Amino acid sequence: MDRNDIIKAVNSIFIDQFEIEEMELSPDKTIFNDLGLDSLDMVDLMVGLQRKFGIPLRQSEEIRKIEKLNDIYDFFVKLIDEHPDAAARFKNGTGN
Amino acid sequence: MSIVQRQKALISIWLYGSMLLWTVGFCLIMVIPCLMMLFFPAQRREAMFRRVIVLYGRTIIFGAVWPLLRVKYEDRAPTEKTPGIYIFNHRSSSDPFLVAALGVPLIQIVNGWPMKLPFFGYFARQGRYIDATKTEYEAARKHIRGLLKEGVSVVAFPEGTRSGNRKMNQFHSGIFRIALELNAPIYPCCIVGNEELPDLNFRFRSGVIRICRGHPVMPTNIAAANAFVLKTRIKALIATEIAEIESEKKL
Repeated sequence: MDRNDIIKAVNSIFIDQFEIEEMELSPDKTIFNDLGLDSLDMVDLMVGLQRKFGIPLRQSEEIRKIEKLNDIYDFFVKLIDEHPDAAARFKNGTGN
Repeated sequence: MSIVQRQKALISIWLYGSMLLWTVGFCLIMVIPCLMMLFFPAQRREAMFRRVIVLYGRTIIFGAVWPLLRVKYEDRAPTEKTPGIYIFNHRSSSDPFLVAALGVPLIQIVNGWPMKLPFFGYFARQGRYIDATKTEYEAARKHIRGLLKEGVSVVAFPEGTRSGNRKMNQFHSGIFRIALELNAPIYPCCIVGNEELPDLNFRFRSGVIRICRGHPVMPTNIAAANAFVLKTRIKALIATEIAEIESEKKL
């Protein structure tokens, strides 16, 4: 599972769950000012991403530091590296 | 000092003076009824204080500032009386006064500082306004559910802070999540023309302010999957209404 797969998976949550147009999803967009998600929406987003990747997310300092869309991509790239089993499940299509 | 600045200064002196006089007059008339209210049971007393706040707001916006500032209220759903959640854009510090034009029993969700004001803060606390900086989500939801049952509407400015211009800032989701969970009707509303009334330095010019209440929207009817989608749709409705009003070039 490479970075592009992760970007696609993250973007699909924004598109399906938050009805944000794909063309708006560029890595340098800020989560609150550009995309309009606040801390409560971030909880919904993380729940959606947790289901998508099948990795339990704990409230961590890294999540709190997320400002841009690219930070979310980086966060999940790192997380997938730490959970190769989840990456395999996702690749086999058994992730949610 | 330029002519415009001098004009603004004179208008501001006139309007603040007029508002002060009307406020003193209002207080003199209301002091005895307000003292009597303190002896009523809590729920009745709160309702009375809320009515006094709305009456005061209407006195100011339709009386004290007239004719330099003219406030026009348009109701797109005049037969709709169901209590609900009123969502407003937020351009100016005059917005909390202007919502009195709705003329319905209401409370407002406010930032911490209005609750601390010596005079207005007392009335806001008595009317059980919600301090967004101190109230937990669950407590706010419980309070709002109770208010709606009592027939009291809730006014929110989900931008959180005034924009000071014609731009609408991003909305916060909390109140939309509550509306979704309670399936409470949402009234998209807008205030147009007061972006500089007063300006960020609290100075006035003369002008027309228009307030519009839209048709209520039931969260379940627009099939919003979550608070973000709901707020995006309500914001779009408000933006459309604002664009229509501003395109009429009456401002």
